[in-house]
Amino acid sequence: MLDILTSIVIAGITTGALYALATVGLSLVWGSMGMLNMAHAAMLTLGGYAAFTLCSALGLPVVVGFLGAVLVGAVAGGLLYILIVHSLLKTDKAAFESNVMIATVGIGIALENAILLIYGGQPLKQPISASGALSVGSVTIPWQNMLIVVVVIVLMALIALLLSTTRIGRAIRATAQNREAAQLMGVAVNRVYFQVLLLSGAIAGICGVMVSSMTQLSPPLGNDPMLKAFIMCVVAGLGNLPGAVAAAFGLALLEAFVQYAAGARWGFPTLLFVVIAVLIWRPAGLFGRVQIRRM
Amino acid sequence: MTKPAQSKGITGSARLDLAVSLLLVIAAVALPLFVDSRYVLGQVVLALFYATIASQWNLLFGFSGIFSLAQMAIFAFGGYVTAMLCFYFGWDVWAALLPGALAAVVFSLIVGVACLRLTGVYVALLTLAIAQTMYLLIVTDTECFTMVGSICRQFTGGAVGFARFGDLGTRALLKGQWLIGNYAIIATLFALTMLFTYVVVKSPIGLAFKALKDNPGYAVARGVNRFQAQLLVFGISAFFTGLAGGLYAAHFQAIGPGILSLSQLMFIIAITVVGGVGTFWGPLVGTVVLVAADELMREAGEFRTLGLGLIITLSIILMPRGLVGRLGDLVHWLRHRNGGAPHPKLRESPVAAGE
Repeated sequence: MLDILTSIVIAGITTGALYALATVGLSLVWGSMGMLNMAHAAMLTLGGYAAFTLCSALGLPVVVGFLGAVLVGAVAGGLLYILIVHSLLKTDKAAFESNVMIATVGIGIALENAILLIYGGQPLKQPISASGALSVGSVTIPWQNMLIVVVVIVLMALIALLLSTTRIGRAIRATAQNREAAQLMGVAVNRVYFQVLLLSGAIAGICGVMVSSMTQLSPPLGNDPMLKAFIMCVVAGLGNLPGAVAAAFGLALLEAFVQYAAGARWGFPTLLFVVIAVLIWRPAGLFGRVQIRRM
Repeated sequence: MTKPAQSKGITGSARLDLAVSLLLVIAAVALPLFVDSRYVLGQVVLALFYATIASQWNLLFGFSGIFSLAQMAIFAFGGYVTAMLCFYFGWDVWAALLPGALAAVVFSLIVGVACLRLTGVYVALLTLAIAQTMYLLIVTDTECFTMVGSICRQFTGGAVGFARFGDLGTRALLKGQWLIGNYAIIATLFALTMLFTYVVVKSPIGLAFKALKDNPGYAVARGVNRFQAQLLVFGISAFFTGLAGGLYAAHFQAIGPGILSLSQLMFIIAITVVGGVGTFWGPLVGTVVLVAADELMREAGEFRTLGLGLIITLSIILMPRGLVGRLGDLVHWLRHRNGGAPHPKLRESPVAAGE
């Protein structure tokens, strides 16, 4: 019984770490620019495939593959800003919200399909992964799971540090709080948006590598984490980073338990019911502040 | 599309709508006389389904500002209920259509209640999650519900779906010409949908929807009941969507979870976006353009989805109000160029109707 319990908790924490990473990438962009990035899933997939190309196809070391995934993700985020978001920002705020969603939906489909055309639909093995397991008494923890959790914790700490101490971080937070006021105080808001998308893309790239190391590489790889990340974001309140991390771990543990108790197919519906319950109780999420929308 | 306009006295835009709808009715009646190919007629029928769904999504998103991604789920719900009534209880398809549509309305109202206190992006996320859950629950359904011969049959039809539960009766009636019969039925559905949408959009309810979209705070302050209006639009838009779902199942004599896939939903969104969000004729124009583009890209085979994604993105960037919106800009521009014309509204109609 204890064995089962620990393995459920380990699985829950690992997926929770992955969800947290996916959620932070989404939430960062939403919080600072009010943009829901529907292409996030495709950016995740892109990162995973970039690492595969560099390590398996070109035979470069693992570190290069990992950094390559980060770089490719960041470039994708940057291009997203330059090609799409920049021109959509000229429209008013309400229109921007839905327009940018539709536009990124299109980009997401196109990217996923492009990956399918280049690499084919068959699942591929992610080269960046650890094998073996650590045994402590009766409990065995695969190195892969530990690696993921450690990477995620380090990343979270880095992001928190970036947001709280650096100049860029202060600019991002200022823009998130009040775009106009930040602009009046001399923050180059457009540059902040660009930086946020770069950062979010880089996080997506890492997340893609991590997710694919647990399963396999396939073109729709990012869709499942993104859908779950949406749910976490909604539960926590969009744009709330610590809340998103807490929600990711909590819901991932819940999902792991439900999947064990009631079968894998009930995991997602349970999450959905939790979300609906939370939203009826607190429409702006558990930790979200009620948004005051200017008319 | 004509009656409400006539009763209030004809304005310029109503005249235009009247002229366009007359032309469309003539074109729709003439079509089977000129089109021989069964393939082309089949694609036209499919396009009419798309146009019906898109027009109802446009009512929800374009006119009322509710970004719901559950439209295909509602369509599928109507289709599944119709198919299941026929399959399990041996009902006639025609008898099962209305219950299917009503079930879709109930389903949509439940979705609407869940979204009632949400705005903008939260609605999109929640409805997407609902649609995906429905898809996952159907696809992963492996429990045997009944045995058909030696084959296990799941309650929801599983990944395979339902087939051979009856048809619209046109095969028995018209023999080889059955497709024309189906075409007539579905074209009628589309015409009724458009007529109904027109009435809704021009009615006080439609104005309330628009007011809530443009400025919710002000609309509520002026006495518009947001909860009531939002539930109403969820219910209204679901009826014809569900009915279309039932007819879809009956026309193809099959329904499966494939229609719940994300790409189908994207196609509906693309149609509305390209045609013009929040414009009455937008979904129809979008359907014509995108189905034609889709047919052209069939040559390119595997690049179809890629092209579709790029079309969505480019059209939202280059023409946020779609082709119909751009056409409106053109008319506006022409009117301004001829500045000082005594009756600009009346002059625009022949120009635009000819386009």
